[in-house]
Amino acid sequence: MSFDAIVVGSGMSGGWVAKELAEKGLKTLVIERGRHIEHGADYTDHLAPWELPNMGMVNEEEAREHYEVQSQCYAFTTATKHLWVKDSEHPYTTPEGKPFMWIRGYHLGGRSIMWARQSYRLSEMDFKSNLEDGHGTDWPIRYADMAPWYDHVETFAGISGSNEGLEQLPDGKFLPPMQMTAVELDFKRKLETAFPTRRLIIGRCAHLTEPTAEHEALGRIACQYRSLCERGCSYGAYFSSLSATLPAAQRTGNVTVVTDSIAHSVIYDPGTGKASGVRVIDANTKEGRVYEGKVVFLCASAIGTAAIMLNSKSEAFPNGIANRSDAVGRYLVDHLSGLGADGTYPGFENSYHSGRRPNGFYIPRYRNVTEPGEGFTRGYGFQGGAMREGWRRGTWQEGVGAEFKGSLRRPGAWKLGLGGFGEMLPRADNRVTLHPTRTDKWGIPIPHIDCSLGPNDLKMIDQVNKDAKEMLEMAGCTNINTRRHYGGVGLGIHEAGTARMGRDPSTSVLNQYNQAHDVPNLFITDGACLASSGCQNPSLTYMAMSARGAHYAAEFLRAGRI
Amino acid sequence: MKQASFEMNRRSLLAGLAALIGASAVPDGAWAQEAGAQDAAATERYFAPPLYAVLEEVCDIIIPETDTPGARAAGVPQVMDGLMRNWASAERRRQFEGLLLEIDTAARAAGGAGLMSLPKARRVEVVAAFDAAQMRQHDHPYRRFKDLILTAYYLSEVGATQELRYELVPGSFQGGIPVGPDTRAWAV
Repeated sequence: MSFDAIVVGSGMSGGWVAKELAEKGLKTLVIERGRHIEHGADYTDHLAPWELPNMGMVNEEEAREHYEVQSQCYAFTTATKHLWVKDSEHPYTTPEGKPFMWIRGYHLGGRSIMWARQSYRLSEMDFKSNLEDGHGTDWPIRYADMAPWYDHVETFAGISGSNEGLEQLPDGKFLPPMQMTAVELDFKRKLETAFPTRRLIIGRCAHLTEPTAEHEALGRIACQYRSLCERGCSYGAYFSSLSATLPAAQRTGNVTVVTDSIAHSVIYDPGTGKASGVRVIDANTKEGRVYEGKVVFLCASAIGTAAIMLNSKSEAFPNGIANRSDAVGRYLVDHLSGLGADGTYPGFENSYHSGRRPNGFYIPRYRNVTEPGEGFTRGYGFQGGAMREGWRRGTWQEGVGAEFKGSLRRPGAWKLGLGGFGEMLPRADNRVTLHPTRTDKWGIPIPHIDCSLGPNDLKMIDQVNKDAKEMLEMAGCTNINTRRHYGGVGLGIHEAGTARMGRDPSTSVLNQYNQAHDVPNLFITDGACLASSGCQNPSLTYMAMSARGAHYAAEFLRAGRI
Repeated sequence: MKQASFEMNRRSLLAGLAALIGASAVPDGAWAQEAGAQDAAATERYFAPPLYAVLEEVCDIIIPETDTPGARAAGVPQVMDGLMRNWASAERRRQFEGLLLEIDTAARAAGGAGLMSLPKARRVEVVAAFDAAQMRQHDHPYRRFKDLILTAYYLSEVGATQELRYELVPGSFQGGIPVGPDTRAWAV
C-alpha cells in the first residue's frame, strides 16, 4: 500500500505529525505497534477508589515476574496496568552495574495517555547551551525558530499556566492558571524573599481550565480535578493523542491507522537515495508487510526510533539508515529525577483545599542562570506542592481505637514537597545498540541500553538535594526527608538524544528541519531529535518539533525537493 | 478495527457531551466481578477461621465503630483476606499470617487462650501494646499490615464517604478554603 506519508508511532510526536500532515492534504499512514484503545470506552477513570481491584495494587508476584521495570513507575496500578508494557514480553539488556529503567506503554496514543502533563518551553539559553559549554553539538536552530510552533501547539493542546517573564522559561499561550494552596503561596513569598532571583510559579500543564471552541469541537471539556489522569480521561480534559491530535487527524479523512504493526525497518532505495517505505511485522500473526510512502517520520520514542534505524541496514548504510555519523543511538540522556525533599510546614491549621489538582507548582532553573552552579554546568528545576496530610499518616503513628480513628478524621499537617529534575549531559558512550544475538518474539533484535551518570550529573544530583533541603529549612519545615537517588537512569521517563539534530552531518543525524542529513525524506521529531534536553519536561517540545517538522516535510514534498 | 484489551462493559461517553458529570452507577462487567470477588464466602477464605477471627478483631480494634461504622462494617477483613488471595506474594502471606499468630501469642502471654478468649477490653490492650511495640521498632511487616488495614477502610465507600469525605468528580480545585472544628478530611 502506498501513501504520501508514513508516521511510525502514534504517541506524543506521531499524533502531531499525523494531524499536521493530514490537515495539509497528505494521505498519511500511522503505524502503531500496540493495540487499539478507544478514547473513553477503554479507560478506567470512572472507577471509585473502592472499585479498584486489590485497592489499586498489582499482584506482587505478577509485578515481580512480568513488570519488573514498569512496576517501578509511580503510575503503575491495577487501574493502569494494561497501559504499561509487559517487561517479560519486551525485554532489553543493560550492562552490569548500569541500570536503565525503560518505562513505556505500547498502545494507540502511547505515553501521551499516561504522561504527567507538565508542559514547559525550552529557552534560548537551552538552544545555546551546547555551543557555550561544549557538551554535545550546537543545535542547528534557536528559540526564534521554535517560538511560533510552541504557540501553535499550546493553542491546540490547551496549556494552563501563567506568564512570568522569565528568560529561562519562556511564556506561552495559556489558559487560566490553576490555584495554589495557602501554604504554597506562603512558601512562594518566603522563597522569593530569601532567594530574590528564584521564582515559584503555578505549574504549566496540558489541562483545559477553560476550553476554547476548538477544544470543544473535539468533544473535550474542562478539567474536573479528579487527578485520575494516567487512567485516561473520558472528558478529554488533558491533551493526548487520543483526546486531541488523532481525532483531528481522522476528521480530515486523510489518515489510515494500523495498530498491532511493529515497525521492523525503514526501507532505503539506493536508486533514489530516499526511504521508500517501512517494513512491519504484524504483532499477532508475525506476518511481514511493506508500506510505501513518499516521506517517512519516525516517532517511535527515542529508544524505539534508534532501534528501528539501527535495524535498517543496507549496503549504503551498513550501520543503520541515515547513520553515517554513527550518532544514531548515542548521546542518550534522561532527566535526573527521584530527587528533592519533603517536610512538615508550620501553621495554616485553618486552611484546607478541595478538589484534586492534577498539577503542582514549579521553581524554574536558577543554577547557572541567576545563581552559579558550584562545580557543574547546566541546571535543574523543581516540581512541587503543599497539601495537608491525610489518613495515611496513621501508618506512621502508634495508636488504635476510637481516639486514633478520631484523629485521622481531621486534615493532617501541611506537607511541602520538592521534586528536582536536572539536565543530564550527552555522552557518546551512553548509547543504544542492537543486541548482537538476542531477539524479541517477533525476531527483531532487542535494544541494549548502555547508559550511566557522569561527573556533572552526580555533582548536580548532590546539589539538587542540598538546595531542596535548604529551601525547606528556610521556610521553617520540620521532619525534612531528603530523597536518595536510585543510582540509575530512566525513571525521569524523558529519555532523548539518540538521533540528534546538528549542523554537521558527521556528528549529527538531523538538520535544522528534523530531516535526516543522509536521507532527505526521513524525518524524526520525537525525543531522539534533541541535541540537549534542558531541565524542562520535554513533551511540549516534542509537539512543537513534530508540528514544525511536518510543516517542512510537506513544503519540501510540495516543492519537489524530496 | 477495535480490539478490546480486556472485558469492559460500561456506557461509552459520547463525544461532545459537555454536561457529563461522571458515571456513578453500580459498576458492571469484569471490574465489578473482581471487586466482588474480594468478598468471598467463608469456605473460599485465605485465612482459616481461627486466624480470620483474629484478623477481624484486629481490624475492628484499630478502626472501631464510633459515630460512623468501623472496619468490620466496612468490609475490611474481607478485603484483607482477598488481598492475601489476589495480591500478596508467598512471602507477604507468611509475614501477615505470622503477625496474626504473634498477636494471638501475645494474648496467651496476657493470660488467655488466644486473643478471642479474652474479654474485649483486654483484647484492645493486647493489640494496642502490640501496635505500640511494633511501631517503635520500625517493624516493616506490621507497618505494611496496618497501612493496608487503614487503606482498606479509608478507601472503602463507608470509610471514604461516611467517616471522611470523597467526591468522584470534584469539578474544581479550591486552593484555600476555611477549616472548622468539624471539618472532615478528604479520603483522597
